[in-house]
Amino acid sequence: MIERQTIETDILIIGGGTAGCMAAVEARERFPQYKVTILEKAHIDRSGCLAGGMNAINAYLNKGETPESFVRYVRSDSCGLIREDLVQSMSELFEYCVKKVEKWGLPVLCDDNGDYIPRGRWNIKINGESLKPILAKAARSAKAKVYNWIVVTNLLTEGDRVVGAVGFSLRNGKFYVVRAKAVLIATGGAAGLYRPNNAGDASHKTWYSPYNTGAGYAMGIRAGAEMTSYEMRYVAIRTKDAIAPTGTIALGAGAPQVNSKGERFMVTRYADIGGDGAPTPYRAHGPIQEIKEGRGPVYLDTRGITPEKVTDLKKAYLDMYPSQVLYWLANDIDPGKEPVEIQTTEPYIVGGHCQAGYWVDNERRTTLKGLYAAGDVAGGAPFKFVSGCWSEGVIAARTMGKDLSQEGLAQMEATSVPESQVDQEETRAFYPFKNHEQGKFGVQAAELESRLQKIMEQYAGGASTHYEMNEEMLKIARKKLSTLPGEIDDLVAADLHQLMKAHEVIDRIDVAQVLVEHMAYRRETRWPTYHTRTDYPERDDANWLKFVNSVKNTKSGEIEMMTRPYEQMVSGDRYQPGKKPGS
Amino acid sequence: MPVWIDPDICNGCNNSRQPPCLRMCPGDLIVKDHSTNKAQLKYPEDCWDCLPCVKACPIEAIEFHLSYQFGSRGAKLQPRIHKGRDFITWDAEDIKGKKESFTIRTKVMKIALDETIEDGSEGLDFSI
Ligand SMILES: Cc1cc2nc3c(=O)[nH]c(=O)nc-3n(C[C@H](O)[C@H](O)[C@H](O)COP(=O)(O)OP(=O)(O)OC[C@H]3O[C@@H](n4cnc5c(N)ncnc54)[C@H](O)[C@@H]3O)c2cc1C
Ligand code: SF4
Ligand code: SF4
Repeated sequence: MIERQTIETDILIIGGGTAGCMAAVEARERFPQYKVTILEKAHIDRSGCLAGGMNAINAYLNKGETPESFVRYVRSDSCGLIREDLVQSMSELFEYCVKKVEKWGLPVLCDDNGDYIPRGRWNIKINGESLKPILAKAARSAKAKVYNWIVVTNLLTEGDRVVGAVGFSLRNGKFYVVRAKAVLIATGGAAGLYRPNNAGDASHKTWYSPYNTGAGYAMGIRAGAEMTSYEMRYVAIRTKDAIAPTGTIALGAGAPQVNSKGERFMVTRYADIGGDGAPTPYRAHGPIQEIKEGRGPVYLDTRGITPEKVTDLKKAYLDMYPSQVLYWLANDIDPGKEPVEIQTTEPYIVGGHCQAGYWVDNERRTTLKGLYAAGDVAGGAPFKFVSGCWSEGVIAARTMGKDLSQEGLAQMEATSVPESQVDQEETRAFYPFKNHEQGKFGVQAAELESRLQKIMEQYAGGASTHYEMNEEMLKIARKKLSTLPGEIDDLVAADLHQLMKAHEVIDRIDVAQVLVEHMAYRRETRWPTYHTRTDYPERDDANWLKFVNSVKNTKSGEIEMMTRPYEQMVSGDRYQPGKKPGS
Repeated sequence: MPVWIDPDICNGCNNSRQPPCLRMCPGDLIVKDHSTNKAQLKYPEDCWDCLPCVKACPIEAIEFHLSYQFGSRGAKLQPRIHKGRDFITWDAEDIKGKKESFTIRTKVMKIALDETIEDGSEGLDFSI
C-alpha cells in the first residue's frame, strides 16, 4: 500500500531551478496572499544546470544596448527565425533580475565606476560558484514551500485545464498529489536523448545537466500541450573530453577557432556569414566540417595568452566547471602554450539556447489553461541563458498572479480531480516496482536508455553521422522508436532511485518521438548541425519561414504537426546581427 | 571514479540521517550506510563532476578525481571554503607535483549537518 500525501496550493512550481526559484520569489513578493509550492526532484540548494555554478550571465544589455538591438542579434544568431515578442519581453527584465540576485549576495564583477564588466557583447562576469544556493535561499526566505526530492511524473488535468501534478518522493516513497490553481513548469531541458560523448564512468560527463531529462516537455506532450521548434536541437562546441563550455575561452581570452593546419577556418570559409561572429549553429557546423573533411583536430587557439590570462581562465572554470582545470592538471596542459582542443556534444533539447519547448504567449501561458512555462522548457526564445530563464520566471509569476485574481480562481476551492485519475497516476508512477516484486525479468532503465540512444544516434542525426539526417533515416528512427512505448510496460525498479531512472527514460522516449516528427516535418536546413537535412540542404524562406509545432492528440496518441506564422516586430535585415545603437 | 569519499576521514556527520554530501548531490547518487556511519557514492557512473558534494563536506572527506580515461591519477584539485569570509580557495597540483592555489570571491552559504524535510522524511532508512 502506497501512502498518499495531498497538498493544496495556489501556485505550483514544478522544478526549483533557475526559472523556478525566481518565479517563486516574484510570486510571493507580488502576491503575498497566494501560497506557492515548489516540487523539486533534487534539493533546491544544488539542483539543475546551476549545481556546479556559473561564471557569467550570458544575456545582458550592456551599456548602450536596447531590447531591439538584442532582438536583432538573437534573430540573426538563430538564422532569421525567432519569437521576437518573447525575446524582447525577456530582455526587458535582465537588469531587474540580475540586480535582484546581486542584492541577494551574488558577486558580479564591476569596474572602478561600479559598472558591470562585460565579457563579449551580451555577457557579464560573475563569481557564481554559489549561485544556486543563493537562489534557493531567496525562494525559502520568500516563504515558498519547498518539497525536495519529489520526482514529478505527470500533470493532473480536468477537462482542458491543468489543475496540479503528481509525483513520488525519493526519500519516503510516498505518492504526492498536489492540487493547484496555476501550475508553472520549469524543469529545464533534456539531456540523454542521444548517446553521450563519453562512455563508462564518464557517461554522465555531459555538458547539459544529465538530471534534466525532459520531464517537463514529456508531461506537456502527454497532456496535449502545443510544442514548438524541437527540430532546433542544440549541439554545443565544448572542450575535448571535459565537455566544458568554450565561451569562457573564446570570449574571455579572445581565442579563435583553428584547424590542425592553424587555419582560421571560420574566417576563410564562412566569411560571408560573419566569420568568427557567424551565427551559433555555424560555429558548431564549421568545426564539424573541418573534422569530417580531414582537417581536424580543431582548437581554440589560446597560445600566447599571458600567464595572468591563464590564471583568469582557470578561475573562471573553477566557478562553473572545475573538472576542466583538473583535466589540464592531469594532462600537463598549459593553455598558454598549447591550444585547447574542442569537440561537439551530443544533441540536447534546450529551449534556453535554442528554441525547443512549449508554445507560449508573451505572458508565458502555454496552450493548456492553468499551465505556464519558463526557462529551458519554454520554446520560441533562444539565447535565454541564466538571465532569460529568470526573466521568464518573473513574467510567468506575474501572469499567474494576475490570472488567479482575474479569473476569480483564487476564491475557488482547488478543483477536485476525479479519484480515478489519481489512482491511475499512482499505478503509472509505481508500476516498475510491481514488475520487480512480481519477479519479472523485465527491462532495466539503463537498457532502455541505451536502446533509445542507439536509435537516435544512428538514425536521427547523432554525432556519428555528423548530425546529418534525411527522410529515410528519420523514417527508420520513427519506426524503431514506435516500439519503445510498448517496452516501457516491462520496466523494473527495485528502489526509489531506480524508479526515478525508469521515469527519466519514459519521459525521454516521449520527447524523442516528438523530436523526430519535428525534424522530419521541416524540409529545409535553416540551422546547420542542429538540423542538417541532407535531402533539403538549403534554407528556404519562401516555404519555411515559420514555426513547426506539434500536439500529441490525447485520444488517438498521434503526434499532429502544424505550422505557426513568424512575425517580424523589430525592423532590419533578419540575417544581420545589427550594431550597438549609436556606434 | 569521479569523486571519492575517503572512508578513513568521513565521520558520517555524526548522527546525520541526511548528511550534506547526500543532500547536495543533484543526481541523488550518494547514500549513507548507517551501520558503518559512512557516506558512499553509490552510482559513480552517473556522476556529473559538478562538486556540490565536495564543497558541502564540512571535514573535506571527499576527493575530486578525474575519470581515469581522461588522464592519469596524481593531479589534485580541492576546494576549501573560508567560512565567515566570502572566499573559496582551490588547491591544485599537477601530475608533476607543481602546486598552485586560486582564491576566488563567492557567497558562502551555510549548510546544516542534517535537515528535517517537511515531506515527512524523518525516521526513514536511507542506508544502502
Ligand atoms: C554546465 C552549464 C554551464 C552553463 N553556463 C552558463 C553561464 O555561465 N551563463 C549563463 O548565462 N548560462 C549558462 N548556462 C545555461 C543556463 O544555466 C541554463 O539555461 C539555465 O540555468 C536553465 O534554467 P532552468 O530553470 O530552465 O533549468 P534548471 O535551472 O536546470 O532547473 C530545472 C529544475 O527542474 C528540476 N526537475 C527536472 N525534472 C524534474 C521532475 N521530474 N520533477 C521535479 N523537478 C524536476 C531539476 O532538478 C532542476 O532543479 C549553462 C548551462 C550548463 C548546463
Ligand atoms: S559530508 Fe563529509 S563527513 Fe559528512 S557524511 Fe558526507 S562525506 Fe562524510
Ligand atoms: S560531483 Fe556532483 S554528481 Fe557527482 S557525486 Fe558529487 S554532487 Fe553528485
